[in-house]
Amino acid sequence: MLREFFTRLRFFFTGKSRAAVDEELQFHIDREVEANLAAGLSPAEARRRALLAFGGRERAREQCREQRPAWSLEMFLRDLRYGFRGLLRNPGFTTVAVLTLALAIGANTTIFSLIDQALLRTLPVQDPGRLVVLSFSGDQAGHVHSDGGDSPGHEHEFSYPMIRDLESKNEVFSGVIASASHDVGVTWNNRAESVAAEMVTGNYFQTLGVRPAVGRVFVSSDETAPGANPVAVLNFDYWRSHLAEAPVVGKTLLVNGTPFTIVGVAAPGFHSMVWGRLPDIYVPITEQSVVQPDWSLLSNHQAYWLNAAARLRAGVTPAQAAAGLNPLFYSLRAAEFTSLRDQSAHERKAYLTDSHINLESGAQGFSPTRQDLRTPLTIIMAMVLLVIGMAVVNVASLLLVRAATRAREFSVRYALGATGAQVVRQLLAEGLILGLAGAVIGLAFAPEALRLLIHWTAAGSGDTPPFTPTLNGQVLVFSLGITLLASLLFSLAPATQFWNPHLVEALKQQSNTGLGSSLKFRRTCVALQIGFSLLLIVAAGAFVRTIQNLRHVNVGFATDHLLAFDLAPELAGYPAADVAPVEQRVLDAVAALPGVRSVGATNDPDLQDDGTGGSVVVSGYTPPPNEDFDVELPAVSTGYLQDLGIPLLAGRYFNAGDTATSQKVAVVNQLFAQHYFGSVTAALGHHVSRPSLPDTDAVIVGVVANAKHNSVRDPAKVTSYIPFAQSVRHSGLTYYVRTWQPPDTAANSIRAAVANIDAKLIVSNVSTLTAQIDDDLLNERIVALLAANFGGLAAVLAGIGLYGILAYSTAQRTREIGIRMALGARRGTVVGLIVREVLLLAGGAILATLPLAVLFTRAVRSQLFGVSVIDPRVYGAAILLLVAVAALAAMVPARRAATIDPSRALRTD
Amino acid sequence: MPPPADLLQGTLDMLVLKAVALEPQHGWAIAQRIQQTSENVLQIGQGSLYPALHRLEYKGWIRAQWGASENNRRARFYSLTAAGRKQLEAELANWDRLAGAINLVLARI
Repeated sequence: MLREFFTRLRFFFTGKSRAAVDEELQFHIDREVEANLAAGLSPAEARRRALLAFGGRERAREQCREQRPAWSLEMFLRDLRYGFRGLLRNPGFTTVAVLTLALAIGANTTIFSLIDQALLRTLPVQDPGRLVVLSFSGDQAGHVHSDGGDSPGHEHEFSYPMIRDLESKNEVFSGVIASASHDVGVTWNNRAESVAAEMVTGNYFQTLGVRPAVGRVFVSSDETAPGANPVAVLNFDYWRSHLAEAPVVGKTLLVNGTPFTIVGVAAPGFHSMVWGRLPDIYVPITEQSVVQPDWSLLSNHQAYWLNAAARLRAGVTPAQAAAGLNPLFYSLRAAEFTSLRDQSAHERKAYLTDSHINLESGAQGFSPTRQDLRTPLTIIMAMVLLVIGMAVVNVASLLLVRAATRAREFSVRYALGATGAQVVRQLLAEGLILGLAGAVIGLAFAPEALRLLIHWTAAGSGDTPPFTPTLNGQVLVFSLGITLLASLLFSLAPATQFWNPHLVEALKQQSNTGLGSSLKFRRTCVALQIGFSLLLIVAAGAFVRTIQNLRHVNVGFATDHLLAFDLAPELAGYPAADVAPVEQRVLDAVAALPGVRSVGATNDPDLQDDGTGGSVVVSGYTPPPNEDFDVELPAVSTGYLQDLGIPLLAGRYFNAGDTATSQKVAVVNQLFAQHYFGSVTAALGHHVSRPSLPDTDAVIVGVVANAKHNSVRDPAKVTSYIPFAQSVRHSGLTYYVRTWQPPDTAANSIRAAVANIDAKLIVSNVSTLTAQIDDDLLNERIVALLAANFGGLAAVLAGIGLYGILAYSTAQRTREIGIRMALGARRGTVVGLIVREVLLLAGGAILATLPLAVLFTRAVRSQLFGVSVIDPRVYGAAILLLVAVAALAAMVPARRAATIDPSRALRTD
Repeated sequence: MPPPADLLQGTLDMLVLKAVALEPQHGWAIAQRIQQTSENVLQIGQGSLYPALHRLEYKGWIRAQWGASENNRRARFYSLTAAGRKQLEAELANWDRLAGAINLVLARI
């Protein structure tokens, strides 16, 4: 077997020389002559018989060659060579076809690379298939710190005691790991900056199988007791870009003012068990109160803040693990339930009976980012596939037009003995050349397109994007597969036309009657192109309208000329008691800057998809039973509402008299007043407090208009503002500075003013509110931008494809048009004839595709804003654009047809 | 002379392998041998002989070497390889089975 293979392999490359074959055949003839002579024939007769017996020598030679192992490949290479020459003879056609394919394949590669990175790739850890992500269903009675990614029945935040118990008492995992992320202030070489930290369990790196690049990673003894483990591991990228790969092991850096010893750097490529989370520094989870000084979460059973994952013990299946884990989880929840204040049957059911733990595949890691990206990426990929479909139809119709002019060439081939299969193989080879050329160009530009796209998504925000602009093998294989499939499809179009040995007859008949399969095929091409482009243009219209609507939505205050920045005194090591006073000093200093009209601050940044809320008790209001109603509860500076320009409807704004020691006050919005009291003025004088927190009872002194808070997409929420000086918990604030100075100038003077108060204070995330809104609308903007590009591309492709087909079919009707004109038809009539036909076809295709377009729009309506599923403006514009493209594409060949000289046209064959 | 029987593809391969099994032979001699031993029933045309020889050589069942012919000319002599011998045995066994089966059917009907 092996030997045979090697023999074949050897002959595959070497074969036999033509001379050797010739010599062998010549010997045969000579030997035959000799034998004939020996039988007593005359020399001439002996030779004649020998040659006669042998037959065609060229044929024998050919048949010997056909036995070569490499024969089919040689044939294919020959086909490629012919195809290549043929394409070079038609540079215009070739350029259009290759560029069309390059655009489609390039777009496909770029978008699929994003999909691959976000949705398909596994975490860069050891044996990722054995990881599971933990989540649970059940009430979270207490406070939740969530980065998102939860769905009903799948809460992804656990308390630290729960994680400790699960880790120490389970029998199905070789390790349970947990982490949470938060920004911290890091001081290294006397330079302070705000970086992303991940708090991790001691077994985090070892369970994941992530090795150190330098020094060591954490071990279990790095997670002993609260505050006892001031050690840090650095992320490789951070170490390289910010610390210049300096020798760091054993050195000290300050985290929020507390010294930490660096023990090592994690392996390159690893970021977090949560995909899309990009920490710069890792600290043990037991250092939580250093990272978040205003919270003490470690011993709290009702603080849900840790994402969790686990590695299955060898031989344990996920189902076995879930079955083994749930009794443990139930007993832990049962112990927790006894200490809850609410012991009702309702709460028992919600907290305990209906509660269970879920294990899901963790190979790719848990990721809120991924869930945000999934729908937009899927939509974009669907559009890319439509673009590829258009490109295939487009190139197929161009090939068809070209093939029609090659009827003579193929007739000659058939006449010379070519089989149908050989002709099809030739056409496939040509298609493959086009496809591969398109793929090469498309792939060459894909990394650059990807880089631009990633750069563009990260512009504005200081965040590192979770994507890299490199193509991996999987993406290349996918693109190559798509290329081959596309090539096969569009080369088969002309192949169906030429799979016919009686080609000449068939073509003659067609040109006489103007009917036949070729015409049907052309009509299908036109209809498909119009259909595909209608879908793409409707999508483009819907998404562009969405982003326009979102940009012009009235949020309830003026978003222009507002410069925002974050400042958290605790990152500079301020104890909780000193936070509020220094924040007031920052407010005063910024307000005193020249060019600053006003300044306000809040602990709950606006339009950033952030919310700080909870339930409230309102005096004079009896809630219906089991009302579960959350209220936004921002703590703001006294000048915040005036600074943003949220109109006062009743009572008063906060003022300088509302201090930490004076009567606690609240200002509520119109929605609040209406929900609890039915009218704006009735709210004044009532009290609002938090059910579980002492010292939160505040009297309502004012009512303001509604303003959007979470995002420009979401409606305004019921809100109760309190002055941050009276807040029970003091943390970092987001400041909004109303100024007409250029943002950079203002930022510099703000930094100088803050440094003047304390050089350790870090001013971070400086940007205008409009930029922040844009940032929040990133997904919508990307979808709109790509959709608009694809829509435009679709219109252009449809134009090219239609023009190609129409130019050809009009040329074919030269004779018919000649007769019409000879019989007295006028030029206008001829133009009208052709344009009307195209418009009828286009109209039919549009009508047939409209239901599909509505279905498509319905499928993506969660991503739309202010655009209905049958938005007349979107559909109207798309149809108008397509009709215009079709009319334009028809006009040029129609005008040419109209200039036909009847006497000459009648003489054409 | 009756027209030469059409040879099944594969049968020709077997005949060629058998013809070179004893000693190396060149193409003309192989054709002669098959023709003579079959008493002129089987006539191998060059159109099928040389492609078959090349095909078998590419498969590694026979090996070709230049040598001097009986009339002192340079000729390509084909001889059986070890793999070819195994193949021949397999094909002979298969042929016996097939021929036996056909005979059985013909005897009964």
